[in-house]
Amino acid sequence: MGFGKFLARRILQGVFVVWGVVTVVFFLRFLTPGDPTATLLPPDAGEAVRQRLREQLGLDQPVHIQYIDYLTDIAMLDFGLSMREGRPVGELILVRLPATLELAIAATIVAVVIAIPLGVISARRRHEPADHGATLFSLVGISTPNFWLGIVLIMFIAVRVGFLPVGGRSVNLTQVVTMLADGQPQYLGRWLGQLILPSIALGTYFTALITRLTRSGMLEELGKAYVKACRAKGLPEALVLYKHVLRNTLIPIVTVLGLQLGTLIGGAVITEEVFAWPGLGSFLIRRITLRDWTAIQGTIIVIGIGFVIINILVDSTYAYLDPRVVDE
Amino acid sequence: MIPDRVRASLKRELRTSLLAKVGIVLVVSIFVLATFAPFFAPHDPTTQRVGVGGTEAQSNLPPLGFSQEVQRVSPQGTETVYVNATAEFPLGTNTQGQDILSRLIYGARVSLLVGLLGAGLAVIVGVPWGLVAGYFGGRLDDGLMRGADVMLAFPSLVLAIALVGVFRDSGFHTTRIPDPFVLAAQSETIPNVLIPRSDHVASMPESFVFPVTVTLVVALVNWVWFARVARGEAISVRTEEYVKAARSIGASDVTILRQHVLPNSVTPIIVLATIQVAAIILLESALSFLGFSGTDLTWGADIADGRGDQRSQWWIATMPGLAIVLAVVGVNLVGDWLRDALDPSIEGEGGV
Amino acid sequence: MARETKLRVEGLKTRFFTEEGQVNAVEGVSFEVAEGEVFGIVGESGSGKSVTALSVMDLVDAPGRVVDGEVWFRSPALADRVGEEIPEAVDGELVDLRRLDARERRALRGAEFSTIFQDPMSSFNPSITVGEQIAEAVEVQRRARANPRSVRSRTQGYGLSSFVVDSLLPTREYVHRPSRDRAIELLELVGIPDPAERAGEYPHQFSGGMLQRAMIAQALAGEPSVLVADEPTTALDVTIQAQVLDLLAELQAETGMTTVLITHNLGVIARMCDRVGVMYAGEIVERGTLEDVFDEPVHPYTQGLIGSIPDLEGSHQRLEPIPGNVPSLLDAEMDDRCYFADRCPKAMHECLEKPPDFAVDDLHAAKCYLARHDYDEADALPEGYFDA
Ligand SMILES: Nc1ncnc2c1ncn2[C@@H]1O[C@H](COP(=O)(O)OP(=O)(O)OP(=O)(O)O)[C@@H](O)[C@H]1O
Ligand code: SF4
Ligand SMILES: [Mg+2]
Repeated sequence: MGFGKFLARRILQGVFVVWGVVTVVFFLRFLTPGDPTATLLPPDAGEAVRQRLREQLGLDQPVHIQYIDYLTDIAMLDFGLSMREGRPVGELILVRLPATLELAIAATIVAVVIAIPLGVISARRRHEPADHGATLFSLVGISTPNFWLGIVLIMFIAVRVGFLPVGGRSVNLTQVVTMLADGQPQYLGRWLGQLILPSIALGTYFTALITRLTRSGMLEELGKAYVKACRAKGLPEALVLYKHVLRNTLIPIVTVLGLQLGTLIGGAVITEEVFAWPGLGSFLIRRITLRDWTAIQGTIIVIGIGFVIINILVDSTYAYLDPRVVDE
Repeated sequence: MIPDRVRASLKRELRTSLLAKVGIVLVVSIFVLATFAPFFAPHDPTTQRVGVGGTEAQSNLPPLGFSQEVQRVSPQGTETVYVNATAEFPLGTNTQGQDILSRLIYGARVSLLVGLLGAGLAVIVGVPWGLVAGYFGGRLDDGLMRGADVMLAFPSLVLAIALVGVFRDSGFHTTRIPDPFVLAAQSETIPNVLIPRSDHVASMPESFVFPVTVTLVVALVNWVWFARVARGEAISVRTEEYVKAARSIGASDVTILRQHVLPNSVTPIIVLATIQVAAIILLESALSFLGFSGTDLTWGADIADGRGDQRSQWWIATMPGLAIVLAVVGVNLVGDWLRDALDPSIEGEGGV
Repeated sequence: MARETKLRVEGLKTRFFTEEGQVNAVEGVSFEVAEGEVFGIVGESGSGKSVTALSVMDLVDAPGRVVDGEVWFRSPALADRVGEEIPEAVDGELVDLRRLDARERRALRGAEFSTIFQDPMSSFNPSITVGEQIAEAVEVQRRARANPRSVRSRTQGYGLSSFVVDSLLPTREYVHRPSRDRAIELLELVGIPDPAERAGEYPHQFSGGMLQRAMIAQALAGEPSVLVADEPTTALDVTIQAQVLDLLAELQAETGMTTVLITHNLGVIARMCDRVGVMYAGEIVERGTLEDVFDEPVHPYTQGLIGSIPDLEGSHQRLEPIPGNVPSLLDAEMDDRCYFADRCPKAMHECLEKPPDFAVDDLHAAKCYLARHDYDEADALPEGYFDA
């Protein structure tokens, strides 16, 4: 089986999962207690007005018609109007998406750049102080709630030392680029500065997790027969370690990370809340407080789709790294 | 009940690993503190001391070893005074003057209870699901596991937030659980000599709030991991000779599942459950931090509470976070110990 | 035979320091292999054959360590180079490899010493193509020749950063074109059809026999002077075994590589070797020419082995000739006696003291008192002596 076929099958599975997500989200609304029109209309609105609104929203239709309508709407990326402000939910989400992506990517980069060398060092210097330090760090790292870490960072670094901003996202990437083109590089610093604490808060768990995985994966891989064979043919130690052992260690790590991305996205939601980061997560939490159901549904579907897409990417990377996967 | 070989390897691992010992000590002490909270908590965690009604204000006291500089405004102008820690409140007090140590001890109750019950519920749903899928295979397997995949497509915190958002308006969002120790200490029929510090215990809160929806929701977002592991085990056992033999002599599928497949999956499920307890404690703290759990006597809620006082009263938010870290580190260490001793290969959220 | 000694191992001791205790896997092994000769090591499973091979190659990993012994290797060039720095490591044209540092020894691997392992499937990295892995072996030597000094550096100019850059930029690779071409030639040499195409395949796409041929190709990549083949055919089907042995014999004859061949198949020994060492419990208990060992075995263990060969050659039966088990090699459980005494049909009272190496004649030696005198029934140990 070729890579293209593998990818096609994976995408098909992804579409199926997205359909499941949409279905679950659709029926979630039926679990919601209370009349949906109650949030839309003033409490003193008459029954006639309510009925007209129900008809407008299609709420008077039988469930299966509503469901099919909903599916068609979503398929056309129409997430409906916000129940609070009447603006299209898709638009509201789109405005906030870049901030979340920026944060998630920054945290991933922080995690990968720190964790893999740390894991390698830890495995190579097994039972030495460096290894103990890395083990302790990864243990505490996977046990620390990221929102608390965020608060501690804000309290002790941003507020006390006054070093980095307490929160918010005062410049976005587009602004940075235009300003750079304008010859104003200080915006780059501002942009980086506002990103540092949130990505540490969000990335620590992943840094710890990947360190742990890299260490144990390297140790397992180092015990395999091919490592001896590599050494027997005189390969330099670094080549054995990176090109062979680390590469094979990364293969299972990539899959675990795919599964763990849910934690990253979930973590982003709460990190955004802590740092007043104007992304999807703080949007979701705000909308839940407001009981804006269309917005909540739309956000969850978008997050679900994002998660599925990332997982397809991860699986493709996996297939690229491990040729046996495609053949199965 | 535990096979000797398993017991021996648990012991060997415990003997050689310092971390396993630390983990057990942490978990056992937190468990004991939480269970017997009324005995250990020095104060009623809900009592406020803000200085109304003639009592002296004891809010915002720093923890032992620290003192705090405060600007006090009086008619004579502002003056700077130092507030010192007192041994009465070893970890200080919060803005309402509540004793932080007592709140942490009571908060452990909610965290542990949600962790254990949530993981237990997830096991009850996930394990049969996975066993059936793996054992029967084919269409049934496809159907069941695709359903599980859909669950995995929701980041657990996002799903949990959404579900709590839905159910928070329902009647069963929280329930009050009476505290047996306090009731016993207060009752006339049980002689107080049987209860140590009975006067102290009697003055403690008679019940505490248990977040029902949060428990259901964490179970709902976690069961898939158990289904996956159970399925893997069922698949590997399905082809074993003794299972084939049992089937050939006419044992029913239910019997085979119960007598052969389930016992084989016990080890990995125990290890996974331990890891998931840690993940659930973190998830619960996040939900109560966001104010979705319906109770304010939890670690997460206390962190949210202290968040407003970022500048000076650093301990209000810091202490509950440290408690979470200690608890989760402890559970993770116990999980590592079990995994290293029992050596199943599993994956799961929150630890690998 | 007037051929000169290529490899001389003396008193080699290798220990594993495990949780259960110290394992004496190799217990003072000595043997000598002449230039261009095939030396066979035979013995039951667990007798320490593989660890001996690894110890010679300096490939023993923690918790194991070579604790004692000398590995003399003939190489005039190396002797010249090392002589000034470490004079005690050089004796004429021979160099004691154990006294060289780890880098110097690594530089010898692939270039002077090559290995073929027992299980080809696990000895190739599953996620890199076979051609690339063989080309790597060519490439190290190519780089070493181009820049002799680089051999001694730990990384040979390849570090984590090169790995990252190489993975991100597909055009940058450690292995260069000429090495790839050479790898294909080598695959052709060992009889793999369509070598150019197969070079791009992964190990799991190869059959066991084909993969073992590929490993032989890889071992030849650096044109080594010594080949250590550790049970090169054990993992293969019988018919394939014969083909692979033929190939090995042919290549050995062609290149004149000095070969150490490890096996527990006496048929293989009879067919390939000039000299033989019989291993038991970490020791070489008898060694000599093929004729010495097969026709006039002295040690009762060897006699048991020879007695157990089914007469046709190429038998793949594992050696289990003598009743009883290989003893535990745990230091704490080893008494200071002839390790074979508990299974020996001719055990005598004097065997409770460890027998030294007795020379039978020029090349023939045995660790057994029977090399010195005949069996004396009067002195026999009572039956069941070791059962208690
Ligand atoms: N990594 C290790 N740790 C501990 N003991 C080891 C290790 N490797 C080998 N040994 C011990 O060394 C002894 C010799 O092993 P070795 O692999 O050399 O046997 P062998 O003669 O090659 O057997 P086989 O025919 O099965 O390959 C064995 O008793 C084994 O238990
Ligand atoms: S020394 Fe003694 S016990 Fe050992 S093999 Fe020879 S005769 Fe047997
Ligand atoms: Mg071996």
